[in-house]
Amino acid sequence: MSNILRQHAEQLFAQELEELKKNDTDKRPYSWELSPQAVVTYLVGGKLKNGFEVQPKYIGNRRLMEIAVATLTTDRALLLYGLPGTAKSWVSEHLAAAISGDSTLIVQGTAGTGEEAIRYGWNYARLLAEGPSENALVETPVMRAMKTGKLARIEELTRIGADVQDTLITILSEKTLPVPELNTEVMAEKGFNVIATANNRDKGVNDLSSALKRRFNTVILPVPDSMEEEIDIVKRRVESYEKVMDLPAEKPALEEIRRIVTIFRELRNGVTTDGKTKIKTPSGTLSTAEAISVVNNGLAMAAYFGDGQLKADDLAAGIIGAVLKDPVQDKIVWQEYLETVVKPREDWKDIYRACRDL
Amino acid sequence: MAIHVLGIRHHGPGSARHVKEYLEKIKPDIVLVEGPPEADNILEWVGHEHLNPPVAILAYQPDSPHKAVFYPFAEFSPEWQAILYARRNKIPVKFMDLPTVHKFELKNEPPSHSATVKEEPPVINSMSLPFTPEARAVKRNPLACLAAAAGFHDEEAWWEHMFEYRQDQQQVFEAIIEGIHALRTELDLPYDREEQLREAHMRKIIRQAEKEMYTEIAVVCGAWHAPALAHMPKAKDDNDLLKGLSKVKIATTWVPWTYNRLSFDSGYGAGINSPGWYEHNWRYPTDDGTRWMSRVARLFREQQKDISVAHVLEAVRLSTALTALRELPRPGLEELNEATLSVLCNGEDIMMQLINNELIVSDKIGAVPSDIPRPPLQTDIEKQQKRLRLPQTADYKDYVLDLRKETDLDRSILLHRMELLDIKWGQRYGVTGKGTFKEQWRLQWDPELSIDIIEKGSLGNTVEEAANRYVKQEALTATSLKAVCTLLESAIPAELGTAIDVLVRQINNLAAATGDVMQLMTVIPGLVQTSRYGNVRRTDAGMIEGIITGMITRICISLPSACVAVAEDAATELLELVYNMNDAILILQDTSLTEEWQDTLFRIAGTDSTSPVIGGYATRLLTDHRRISGDELVRAFSFAMSSSSPPATAAAWLEGFLKGSGTLLLVDNDLWAVVYNWMQQLSEDTFKQLLPLLRRTFSSFSKAERRKLGEKAKNGTTGANGINAISDTDFDSIRAQKGIPVVMQMLGIKQI
Repeated sequence: MSNILRQHAEQLFAQELEELKKNDTDKRPYSWELSPQAVVTYLVGGKLKNGFEVQPKYIGNRRLMEIAVATLTTDRALLLYGLPGTAKSWVSEHLAAAISGDSTLIVQGTAGTGEEAIRYGWNYARLLAEGPSENALVETPVMRAMKTGKLARIEELTRIGADVQDTLITILSEKTLPVPELNTEVMAEKGFNVIATANNRDKGVNDLSSALKRRFNTVILPVPDSMEEEIDIVKRRVESYEKVMDLPAEKPALEEIRRIVTIFRELRNGVTTDGKTKIKTPSGTLSTAEAISVVNNGLAMAAYFGDGQLKADDLAAGIIGAVLKDPVQDKIVWQEYLETVVKPREDWKDIYRACRDL
Repeated sequence: MAIHVLGIRHHGPGSARHVKEYLEKIKPDIVLVEGPPEADNILEWVGHEHLNPPVAILAYQPDSPHKAVFYPFAEFSPEWQAILYARRNKIPVKFMDLPTVHKFELKNEPPSHSATVKEEPPVINSMSLPFTPEARAVKRNPLACLAAAAGFHDEEAWWEHMFEYRQDQQQVFEAIIEGIHALRTELDLPYDREEQLREAHMRKIIRQAEKEMYTEIAVVCGAWHAPALAHMPKAKDDNDLLKGLSKVKIATTWVPWTYNRLSFDSGYGAGINSPGWYEHNWRYPTDDGTRWMSRVARLFREQQKDISVAHVLEAVRLSTALTALRELPRPGLEELNEATLSVLCNGEDIMMQLINNELIVSDKIGAVPSDIPRPPLQTDIEKQQKRLRLPQTADYKDYVLDLRKETDLDRSILLHRMELLDIKWGQRYGVTGKGTFKEQWRLQWDPELSIDIIEKGSLGNTVEEAANRYVKQEALTATSLKAVCTLLESAIPAELGTAIDVLVRQINNLAAATGDVMQLMTVIPGLVQTSRYGNVRRTDAGMIEGIITGMITRICISLPSACVAVAEDAATELLELVYNMNDAILILQDTSLTEEWQDTLFRIAGTDSTSPVIGGYATRLLTDHRRISGDELVRAFSFAMSSSSPPATAAAWLEGFLKGSGTLLLVDNDLWAVVYNWMQQLSEDTFKQLLPLLRRTFSSFSKAERRKLGEKAKNGTTGANGINAISDTDFDSIRAQKGIPVVMQMLGIKQI
């Protein structure tokens, strides 16, 4: 199993889920693996009664997670909304893992997602050979979730065309999926619900119809409040990546992470951390997730091409790659930032040099 | 015989409910309430059908009214309910706190012991009288310790869930005494003289009640004091403590209060976050959120946001689920707000601001019966407000007054008088549109205005009388002409007949005495405006015109000599004054004055030693007045710009000559030709020398003007094609402003 590139949440945190289940004394909603309180603990971390330490998965406002979990206990679906890289999919995966013990019932929304990806499709060979029958039906993750009373996840809901989005309305309000070809229907078992994610940065997405919107409770996941919070997130994620990737590099120094986070925050907010200098903002979102991948990238560089220690040189390429999304506009922004903010900072000389050399 | 001590939180709806139920059960024969004993005599008004909370007791020292304290009550204040119970059941009710007068004294006392006296907001507040930082933390929030012990992060939430949302009041008060007692004995709190005195006085009143043979005594006080009143020390100690406190007369009355003033944001120490929510909680103690959500939905619909019944249903369900998840007995405001945010607002918190303003705090204002004794000035103000239909409102309201109408004129007069008296009820705004017959006011009543009214009460018994006397006092003590003229400017729209006479006399005296022509010139534009205004107001503008004529004559005599030998920055200042002065003369349209002014300009322009900037400007003005033209102008121009005069002087003259006239230069071909020809005959060296100075002049023109000038220069003297004055700075901000309220409404933000 260790040669799997990325394990599902329920496998990666199997022990935590097991411990939570053992210590869980609160009432569980029908077909839930854990009680709502335990799900919140799983997400935000904490110490169990027997002293077992649960790692935090979501670092930020606990209340948001409480709203998300409480929503799933009612029969409303949950819409996680926010900028790219604000842990929407991450939260959705862990919610599904903790509540249903299964985070794999997932539909990835794209502009090309059709109705058959959400409701059901047909195995045409069979359909032609045997005519319409249960056997010729191809189940979708949503249909499977309904049958088993689990959570279905829909990623990037707003990328799906409006007509296809609206097929969800019947599923969410009537909790049933009619199959007129067979004159039958699939009725959802208790415990079924939908977690959708959508981001509010992209242009050209399909806004939800009000009918569909009404079936969702919306939780907006914000970018991290404070510098410390963001550093904490990056650090934890980078450490878990090292574990999975068996990187020979040394643990990244907190100082490097702090610098990356500072650069990202400053460019994102358009102002230096001391609030004194105004900065132009680049076109990218510069989310926490990107900061994480920059550090990961730097670690890999250090391990395979460097001396195993994370240095400014290893990070420079990653930073520039994350900032320069638009080759013309962002380049000016970045150069200005480099010359006016990075250069004067005494202890940032190495990073300045590394970035300028590239 | 028994003493029942009821520890409460000020303005806690649950506390109020418990007090009410408890009193109904034990049926006391006297009720003692924490509050100023001086106000005992106005307690009889409680229960009057026109005394509607939120109201406050205003206690003030009649001889120095700024020493004043408010004791606010909402319908859900436990004190209010206790008083109301006593009044309904016709049993005596008394306040028992330390008399207000002593509190004033304590504030003035020099710091004693290790304590430093802190400025307290004028409120009753038994929870917070902090001294050292640590003790401040504990005392501001004594409950935080208890809440932490109970596993809550937030003591507000703990208190609300323990006491305010609780339905049965079984043993609540015993529990509070016990809890606070533990706190007060366990925590090492520093000595607090005011607190000691207050509690001693409360005990004194309780003992007195005992002596008067009352058997069931109910005592309603802040939770913090409860144990100190339940465990009585020896009477002698308290009497010793209270000895030697002086007696000064304190007057009390009821004034209307607002919910906004009850909230923390207004700086009220014992304030609460959510008066509107508390009122809801008081009225509907068993509401599970349904009624609240319906109110939210109604509010949203009023703002043209579609909210269905299903939305309300889902929001209530989510709040219930959240409550269960947090293991709380009932949904609190936080749960309801989070459900609103998630279900009704699609996660966007912009609409939450609206809920906060309208529902959670709300703009409710109380009312007091008109027959409550009050200062005569206030009676007069209220009478006029009623007559002119300008009600006191907690939220602001805009009025556009058309001064040609009788009522609006009277309204404007009242508002101007109040403004003069510095009672900040209305704020004047610029009116859109032309004409001087309109005024725009924004009115918002602040309960604390009643202090100002009492303070100004010494000036007179009516607004008119007080304003007249106020202006006269100011006028006689003022020494600067400007100050008196400003007073006159505000006195005229306030129609203060007798005061205006005094002001006019004072202005005449000061104008005659002053040798400073600049001071005279500063006030002229304002006075001219006022005289024009006078016509709309049907006041006698004649006397102002008299002053103006006299002053202009004085100016015309001494201005030429004032323009000689002035430093550059003083010249710029003077230039501005001449500019305004010329405007004023044009407004007046008085032939003889205009002539006088033109002659003065001639003298200024013709004097060689006049500061060049002013000389140049004077020449320009004469051109504008059509007193110089053609050859004469060319001669004057060439003379000033001739190569013998130093370049700096010439450039300064040009700056004055072209002041603010980019467009004029474009359209007036004569003027253009003069400048153009002069420029052409400059030698290269002189031109280079002059260039920076010329640039200074031309840079004051707008961008479009400069471009046009450049184009025109390209064509030489003759090219006068397609000249239209275009100004890119001519942005109509008044029209733009009109759109702002719409945008604000779309965003759901209330304009403050």
